[in-house]
Amino acid sequence: MNELFLEVVGWLGFLERPAVLLQLVMSLAVLVLSRQARQRRWLGRLPTLAYPHLGQALLALVCVVLAACNQPYGLAELLTGLWFGWSCLGLLQRLLRRWLPNEELHRLDTRLLRPLYLLMAALLVISEFESLRDLAVIPLGQLFGVTVTTEQAFQALLVIYLVLVGCGPPAAGVAWLLQRTLGMSEGSRKASELMLRYTVVGLGLVGVAVYLGLNTTAVIAVAGGLSVGLGFGIKEVFSNFVSGLWLLVEGSVRPGEVLMLDGDPCEVRQLGLRATLLWRDRDNAELLIPNQTFFTQAATSFTASDRMRRSQVNVGAAYHHDPAIVIELLEATARGVAGVLPEPPPKAFLVSYGDFAIDYALRFWIANPMENGGICSMVNQAIWHAFKRHQIEIPFPQQVQYELPWPAQEPETGRD
Amino acid sequence: MTAASLHVRRLILALLASAALAGCSNGRQTPTLLTLAIGIDPDQRVDTEQRQNFKERIETLLTEFRQLYPNTRVDVGLYPEETLISAIQRRSRSGLQPDLLLVSGYTAQKLLEDGLVDPYPANPALLHNFEPATLNRVRNAKEQLAGLPVLLQTEISCFDRRRMPRPPRNLEALAAASASSQTVGLTVEPSNLFWTAGSLGAVPALTQIVTGQKLGAAERSALVGWLRWLQQASGQQDINFFPNQIAADNEFRAGRLSWIPCRSINVPPLRKKFGNNLGIAPLPNGANGFIASPINKVRVLALGRRSSAIGRQRALSFVQFVVNPLSQRTLTMGSQTVLPVNRFVTVPVKSSQVLETMATAAQQGHQADELAARLNRGGPSRGRIQTLLTELVFGETNPEVAADQLVRLLEPRR
Repeated sequence: MNELFLEVVGWLGFLERPAVLLQLVMSLAVLVLSRQARQRRWLGRLPTLAYPHLGQALLALVCVVLAACNQPYGLAELLTGLWFGWSCLGLLQRLLRRWLPNEELHRLDTRLLRPLYLLMAALLVISEFESLRDLAVIPLGQLFGVTVTTEQAFQALLVIYLVLVGCGPPAAGVAWLLQRTLGMSEGSRKASELMLRYTVVGLGLVGVAVYLGLNTTAVIAVAGGLSVGLGFGIKEVFSNFVSGLWLLVEGSVRPGEVLMLDGDPCEVRQLGLRATLLWRDRDNAELLIPNQTFFTQAATSFTASDRMRRSQVNVGAAYHHDPAIVIELLEATARGVAGVLPEPPPKAFLVSYGDFAIDYALRFWIANPMENGGICSMVNQAIWHAFKRHQIEIPFPQQVQYELPWPAQEPETGRD
Repeated sequence: MTAASLHVRRLILALLASAALAGCSNGRQTPTLLTLAIGIDPDQRVDTEQRQNFKERIETLLTEFRQLYPNTRVDVGLYPEETLISAIQRRSRSGLQPDLLLVSGYTAQKLLEDGLVDPYPANPALLHNFEPATLNRVRNAKEQLAGLPVLLQTEISCFDRRRMPRPPRNLEALAAASASSQTVGLTVEPSNLFWTAGSLGAVPALTQIVTGQKLGAAERSALVGWLRWLQQASGQQDINFFPNQIAADNEFRAGRLSWIPCRSINVPPLRKKFGNNLGIAPLPNGANGFIASPINKVRVLALGRRSSAIGRQRALSFVQFVVNPLSQRTLTMGSQTVLPVNRFVTVPVKSSQVLETMATAAQQGHQADELAARLNRGGPSRGRIQTLLTELVFGETNPEVAADQLVRLLEPRR
């Protein structure tokens, strides 16, 4: 590591050369100028996006002048090119917006395109100062008895990063293929995608260890030590991770499942390494629940074997209406509401004789458990209208207050 | 103004100030940094071990150099020689060339031709230390020096004592060894194969061609004889031709070859692998008093362009320091892989078999000095000669036709 540091410090020696200093100062000056011009809108109506390109053109002009004066200009030219490339990434992002959803595009841009571009830019700049081949063989230190060079460390980190960031789309593709081939459910597709990602990441880590030539005995010994540490130190994290894997394999909690949490239906959005992300429809809240909660506590699922939910609304009708007519009307009304499944058919029941009305229950099935609230509201409205059309009264408790006269007070009698 | 933009401004100001300060430094306060680019021969690998070796050698020299110039630091960068010219071209456009380049004579000439190094300022007193033939190898047609020779890397032979107890003294013995199932490895790279031309008496013919003289019948016959031997050798079951020295080295390390020509600089890694089972010897001579003609490589220190004034001054001092007899002896004795180029340094051949072998190789190589010098000086592409030799050993062309083509390739361009 020390050697690498000394190499990097050594590059500062080039600042003794006026030609190098001139290029750096000019590049920085144009960059700062361009930023100032954009912030203060020096050129009036010119779109803000045009300012960096104007700066790049100015820097290119500086390169032409330097070349005409027979002065070195390669560094300024490289910086101009890199700056232009960076701006082009913004244009590429606008172009991709036509085909990719915003969230995907943002992820692609910030996690893959821009980091890779910065890496490439750094390598290009470094290769101006130093032989990359030489830097690559600088030993950084020992890892499990193996000397790790800059090249190995760099490649290992790059592979790990690419595996972590880039394994999503291929895993999604394979999961989609599996779903098409085996006819899996949406939840199973998401679960298999996640498991594929974990497998690829695991294989990537093993591949990196093999590439570095790590001593397997030493790795196993360290892993043994770590497991003790895990047992005491980060037990909860490890427990959540294992719970998450178990839930995935078991299939009880998968992305897309609907679970009841504190009386509210919540949809599983993401099963993470530590926690599960749930979405609650009622208030659009996203809940992060540690995986082991589902592993150790009972949970109600509406989507374990199918996604149907049986729903129910209660209503009262006046005593003087024939219950058979009311029941028939309720069932017919439910059948006419959008979202209520025709099969199994809606069923109405006379539940009890209440204080001021006969209580009925209307039970019906819906396809999406998360739509329960909305559909119940629609059914209730439809009942109101149907009762009105058929002049069926929905009674409400009435209290008649009588003012009872207090017993007349007897006149006070005098004492003897 | 936001806090973030204020921070950026401060950072830029600090950078500019430090850059300006660095630019104004006169070298007395801060150490003078010399950047040294080392071209690694295609015969060698750029790896951690190689880097460590170079660093140690340079550090040994620097320890003594700093007694004269205390504030000196050398930043070493290793480049594979085949990519060095393009890398220096790129760095040159940015004004970031190294102050010094340690390269082969051939590469130094190419760099000078492309205007990537400055001619070495001729100093008769300094040049007096070198053999004229050595200087010729780094001198262009305008009599400019592409750099100053500092080391000689010789071509010798390496053999596995477990498979071949004694090295072949001549080509007949080599052929006999191969006939008795002792596998021999040769490469089709011209610089590593031309030694056979000497053993078969073809060096005078090659020298005449490169100097623009007409070949006599005897010389042409010798040339064809050499090429015929190469073709016949490739027909032997236990003589293998490889595209490059690294491939031959790998086979030798794997224990599948008994004997290969090798560079003295490659002896330490082979020694590490074989221990005392590694034998080294001069390359085998031929019959009728013909001696092998290894192309021993001259390593040259060339001056990069656009160094700062103090950088250039310190670079010149360093070059002169490296070629002084004491440093040359230190390099030779310390590494045991190179020979000095300063003619006033005597190599203690009695002290080491390696040095003795290298000294013999140096003697053998003198007959090819003119050939090597002409090849360095804008000669034909080595790739084209290698293609021709490859076609020859694979029987794609016959020795007579190959001789004609070789003459056309080696003739000086008019």
